[in-house]
Amino acid sequence: MKKLLVIFLLATLGYYTAVTFFDIGFGQPHFVKGVSPVKDIYLAKTQSPLTVSNAVTSIVVNFRGFDTLGEVTVLFLAVTVLGSVLYKNRHEVGKRSVFFSASSIVTSGSKLLFPAIILLGAYVFIHGHLSPGGGFQGGVIIATGFLLMLLAYENYSVSHTALSVVESLAGITFAGVGLLGFMHGGTFLQNFLPTGVMNNLFSGGIIPIIYIAVGFKVGAELTGVIYTVLHEKGESNG
Amino acid sequence: MVGTPVLFIAIPLMAAFLMPLLGMIWKELVRIVPGLVLTYLLILAINLLDHVLVHGPIIEVIAGWVPPIGINLVFNAFSGFLVTLMIFLGLLVWAYSYRFKRNVDYEPALKYFLMLMMLITGSVGIVLTGDIFNMFVFIEITSISAYGLTAFYKGRNSAEASFKYVMMGSIASTFLLLAIMIIYSQLGTLNMADIARKIHLMNPTLKIVSYIFFVTALGIEAEIFPLNGWAPDAYAEAPGPVGAAFAGIVVKAAVYAIIRYTYTIFDLSGSFNFLILIGMITLIIAETAAIRQEKLKRMLAYSSIGQMGLVLVAFGFGTKEGVFAALFLMLNHAITKSLLFFSGSYLVYNSTEKNITEVNGMSKYLPITSLLFAIGAFAIVGLPPFAGFWSKLSVMTAAADSNMILIMVLVLMVSVIELVYYLRVVNRIYFFKKEENTQPQKPTVNALVVMLILGAAILLIGFYPDAVTGILHKASATLVDKGQYIHNVLSLK
Repeated sequence: MKKLLVIFLLATLGYYTAVTFFDIGFGQPHFVKGVSPVKDIYLAKTQSPLTVSNAVTSIVVNFRGFDTLGEVTVLFLAVTVLGSVLYKNRHEVGKRSVFFSASSIVTSGSKLLFPAIILLGAYVFIHGHLSPGGGFQGGVIIATGFLLMLLAYENYSVSHTALSVVESLAGITFAGVGLLGFMHGGTFLQNFLPTGVMNNLFSGGIIPIIYIAVGFKVGAELTGVIYTVLHEKGESNG
Repeated sequence: MVGTPVLFIAIPLMAAFLMPLLGMIWKELVRIVPGLVLTYLLILAINLLDHVLVHGPIIEVIAGWVPPIGINLVFNAFSGFLVTLMIFLGLLVWAYSYRFKRNVDYEPALKYFLMLMMLITGSVGIVLTGDIFNMFVFIEITSISAYGLTAFYKGRNSAEASFKYVMMGSIASTFLLLAIMIIYSQLGTLNMADIARKIHLMNPTLKIVSYIFFVTALGIEAEIFPLNGWAPDAYAEAPGPVGAAFAGIVVKAAVYAIIRYTYTIFDLSGSFNFLILIGMITLIIAETAAIRQEKLKRMLAYSSIGQMGLVLVAFGFGTKEGVFAALFLMLNHAITKSLLFFSGSYLVYNSTEKNITEVNGMSKYLPITSLLFAIGAFAIVGLPPFAGFWSKLSVMTAAADSNMILIMVLVLMVSVIELVYYLRVVNRIYFFKKEENTQPQKPTVNALVVMLILGAAILLIGFYPDAVTGILHKASATLVDKGQYIHNVLSLK
């Protein structure tokens, strides 16, 4: 009876929530109503003073760069929390449990693919202000390259120290660029470099620098997550 | 001026990214750096608050885009007061936990201090920001660090508590995002002042739906009944100083967010009565639950929930006196509940069950800690001459001013319940014989100093409330004046 009541209540709530959100019309041209919405200003300013061809990048890294710094921190914290929850003393870290080793097709294929994946990831985050993609996407692509290597070779290892150094340096670059803008222009994360010509690799001011830092950071962090989880030796005596 | 509000976010983030590197040079640095950062921020906060009280609010623009295009931070008397309080408490929590457990390895210590610093930064960010999506990001930072700190002691119970918290917290994030989506789709802006200016254009149904989503999401962090299922477990299983940080910092930030939405952003007519209603329900349920608890930290957790209910009731009066009372309560609760968590965790330090019965006769072995716990207990109940007396008195006067006699009666009745369960513990500490299997643990020097500072603060506010009422009056005037807030933010060019 109680369960029925709960289901009924949830169904009613769900119905009305769904109706409300259906009326909003996501993805439709009339999605954003209101007088002078900020999206129009964003689109206009992306082209002229910023000269960036990817509007998403200009919003994520420039107009709302502070949010991105926060999101990068969220990821950093999530990795820290995961490491803290799964922490074991050094001598308790076991080998990975491997049910069956990878076939020779996977091992030799992954050797071939690994550099290509890393290159693609680097391309995606370096060209974040010119083409779709950016630091987060590029970082994830790089982490998948390491995942492939870890799956193919049982004893493939990544230096934990190196990962945390890369992670820290990338984070410091992001926050440091922000502070440089603060010293140069008076506001945090303000652009202090020339914006250049649209569609050139060296354009967009500080946007490429931040996106490269984000790419390194996300790549190192997600690789760290995969590595930590793979080396967790099951549930050993609690 | 010595700095700007953005440093409250930038400096701790920089330090957090640096800490793993610094730890490679000298391991002790990961314990020292957060303290240095928090000390600097406390000095900065006091200076800025001093400046703001005289010269009016500081609106900081980020990335060079004026609101509503870019993100902005607002440091006025109200948010500045809360930021100063949070950083002060954060510094005390840091000092208390500097050597809380001697046997903690380097890596957990690094992660503990990182998460603690991020918890404080996230909460400060929630209070400072003037943008609803930016607030969402800071709520994420705060809650992820809170999950990690809850699960810091590995074990079944803390894992369960943390998992519960993660589940509730994820639901909170989802609701928050849905509410932000509704607002953005209707008004095309994310800036709080801009939303407040345009909110009358919004479809009333959608306005109510988004307000409810906001309150549901933030109510989970602010421990409003019935959304507080995670709180007692998390408080009981997290390390002692973390409980103090939850009660003193995180919950305050979430209550601030609810208040900001109710007072500044939305213009719904019934929302103040709604606050009184949920506050009253939370207060009564939590206090009656607290009296039945057998574990010390769970009892403190329920008491904390109840106090937050009372704060919401005081905010719900909607008058300047009500806001003043609520802020005074928040200040006293932050100081007092931290003291109770700090001293309480030493009273049951060596026990595994942390039952209330295990504090029996501790006054002979831990005289100062017991005395400080008693001061905290008396202060939170509202006995004169301690700090809590003045805040409860101001709630009563604010209620009387608004002609809410029934609220007064209920609050007084709940205070009696509070008195019963706190005096029960104090009675056990002083007049019971010590049980044989309990082992008292002497507090470390810095823990003792921290507790003495808090005890002194309670007595100072108790004997000389004028020390803080000036700031509180200005802060409450700032919150109530919605037009001035909108004007300050949107007049930037």
